[in-house]
Amino acid sequence: MKALILVGGFGTRLRPLTLSVPKPLVEFANKPMILHQIEALKAVGVTEVVLAINYQPEVMLNFLKEFEAKLGIKIICSQETEPLGTAGPLALARDKLIDDTGEPFFVLNSDVISEYPFAEMIEFHKAHGGEASIMVTKVDEPSKYGVVVTEESTGKVEKFVEKPKLFVGNKINAGIYLLNPAVLDRIELRPTSIEKEVFPKIALEGKLFAMVLPGFWMDIGQPRDYITGLRLYLDSLRKKSSLKLATGANIVGNVLVHESAQIGEGCLIGPDVAVGPGCVVESGVRLSRCTVMRGVRIKKHACISSSIIGWHSTVGQWARVENMTILGEDVHVCDEIYSNGGVVLPHKEIKSSILKPEIVM
Amino acid sequence: MGSSEDDKVVAVIMVGGPTKGTRFRPLSLNIPKPLFPLGGQPMVHHPISACKRIPNLAQIYLVGFYEEREFALYVSSISNELRIPVRYLREDKPHGSAGALYNFRDLIMEDNPSHIFLLNCDVCCSFPLPEMLDAHRNYGGMGTILVIKVSAESASQFGELVADPDTNELLHYTEKPETFVSDLINCGVYVFTPDIFNAIQGVSSQRKDRENLRRVSSFEALQSATRNLTTDFVRLDQDILSPLAGKKQLYTYETMDFWEQIKTPGMSLKCSGLYLAQFRLTSPNLLASGDGTKNATIIGDVYVHPSAKIHPTAKIGPNVSISANARIGAGVRLISCIILDGVEIMENAVVTNAIVGWKSSIGRWSRVQAEGDFNAKLGITILGEAVGVEDEVVVTNSIVLPNKTLNVSVHQEIIL
Repeated sequence: MKALILVGGFGTRLRPLTLSVPKPLVEFANKPMILHQIEALKAVGVTEVVLAINYQPEVMLNFLKEFEAKLGIKIICSQETEPLGTAGPLALARDKLIDDTGEPFFVLNSDVISEYPFAEMIEFHKAHGGEASIMVTKVDEPSKYGVVVTEESTGKVEKFVEKPKLFVGNKINAGIYLLNPAVLDRIELRPTSIEKEVFPKIALEGKLFAMVLPGFWMDIGQPRDYITGLRLYLDSLRKKSSLKLATGANIVGNVLVHESAQIGEGCLIGPDVAVGPGCVVESGVRLSRCTVMRGVRIKKHACISSSIIGWHSTVGQWARVENMTILGEDVHVCDEIYSNGGVVLPHKEIKSSILKPEIVM
Repeated sequence: MGSSEDDKVVAVIMVGGPTKGTRFRPLSLNIPKPLFPLGGQPMVHHPISACKRIPNLAQIYLVGFYEEREFALYVSSISNELRIPVRYLREDKPHGSAGALYNFRDLIMEDNPSHIFLLNCDVCCSFPLPEMLDAHRNYGGMGTILVIKVSAESASQFGELVADPDTNELLHYTEKPETFVSDLINCGVYVFTPDIFNAIQGVSSQRKDRENLRRVSSFEALQSATRNLTTDFVRLDQDILSPLAGKKQLYTYETMDFWEQIKTPGMSLKCSGLYLAQFRLTSPNLLASGDGTKNATIIGDVYVHPSAKIHPTAKIGPNVSISANARIGAGVRLISCIILDGVEIMENAVVTNAIVGWKSSIGRWSRVQAEGDFNAKLGITILGEAVGVEDEVVVTNSIVLPNKTLNVSVHQEIIL
């Protein structure tokens, strides 16, 4: 089976992290974002993944070689020379997606994390016999998104309503599709929106079906949602009684600590924390609701919450870092500094406190 | 070591590196600062062309932390254009400004020069190098420093010097003092005899012997994790100029022309204007002209790259620099701005006090402007590479990082 992952552009919403690394390679829960998806696809029998990208293919290609070998799955890039929207890339990769088997192929939005119930989706798709299946997820505030209105019993999609002013439903497009090759005949090689142009046509013919995504869902393309997403992800690991979660007297709630990371004495780590490879967390440190990327050193007595600390950065002794502080790669926060929502670009030293949210270039 | 007029001169220009000088962001995210254009020419081009006026110039070295490939093209093309060997040397680790000179002393002394110029690339001035060399020869010391008088309030940002009014000897030097010492400051342009290498070596040896008794704060400890502060890290200001002041070894040469440091994008707009004004005096043929008939109306000092296309109904200037392949549409008004390569500005748009990044696109009737305070963080609007400003959108006092599209107006903001 094959799959296409819509990787897209510059990941500007995840800056400053994406100033150092292309978005799909930014780690989430200690694993590159795109690897979560590729592993789930492999588990359900996908043998070939196409990445639809329009930026930095060289960096991506190096990474891919490494994971092709490790996972035993073929990964190729399809590069847009001009932005093609959410459907155009499928037309561009047409030859790579269609083969003689006539099997349906998956299409995923690269920013989405969930439990990826691909096996159930394949069953659902076979059962209804339609042309296309999409996952929908329930949200609290549907009018922020595009709502998918379906027939209760069959899941047949009736219509899409973009940012509805009045309540029409609470299910939105989760960005996970399973499509028959016939769908490709409907897409021209030009900037096209799959939600606005392609799916409505298929729905009109009664051939589009929606399955409610079990478990959690998050679009982690921006820092606030990335942090919320980590909580949901670790929560789902807990439900599966995963051995990956850290345990110990200094751990509270769901915490992931890479085996090569060191945690000092007298620390309190968690809830909802991920500590990456090679990190050193010195004694007396408090970490909550944060992600600490590869190679970071957190010095003694520091306190970090609701923040993301970028690769190879350091946080000084007694520093307090909180409220959506995002440190880019190689940022050094001096001792005793307070950062309230500082967003710091790579290769900076923070020598004075940041009292209210601001961008430090 | 004679000092005859035939002796060769070598110039060393310090160009810095990508993780230093983050103040030049967001422009430095796309281009090394020394290659950013001022008055239509890369920043480093101005000191290099000034060096060309030095008699018997044998070699120019650019020294910095950038990868060699970032300067390869530029260095080979400028060597051809000016018919002088220009070479980029990469420092493997920080040595300090004097330590860097010492680190490459074998190459610098290859031509057995009698004098060595040391210049900072991010200094904007008239570079009176031949005059400085003559003065230096008369003084007969080890080094001569270019200095300028500034306002008392702004002096504390720089190295302040006290010079003897008769002999011009350097009597006292202090870096960024808290109290007022002098309104005469260090311009970052020096000429030395090869004795400077002995002086630098002396500092290194002293360091080896002396124990570091100062309390090391964690900030310094962070620094020394990445550099060896002890032996081969020698700073020109604190380690050479300060100790040698008043010992009849160092002298000063005062310039009466303009001088600025180019640390931020805002200052690059100001300095671009200073260089354009200088072209008006030295090479007016480089500047554009037009009166709205066959060519666009040009006011004041304006540089337009030959490949740029400007509609005749546009009005450009003063202080505007337009780079290669830019396209300026009908009825556009540009004031005090730098328009970089490949930019497209559509009909009736207005750009004032801004830098528009490579390949950006400015929509019809849109307005990109700022108050024009070159020193304020958001005093000049900066659009990074490939930024799109849609029709009728207003962008004021803001910085926009590369690859963003603005479809609503933006004021006083940094857009990542």
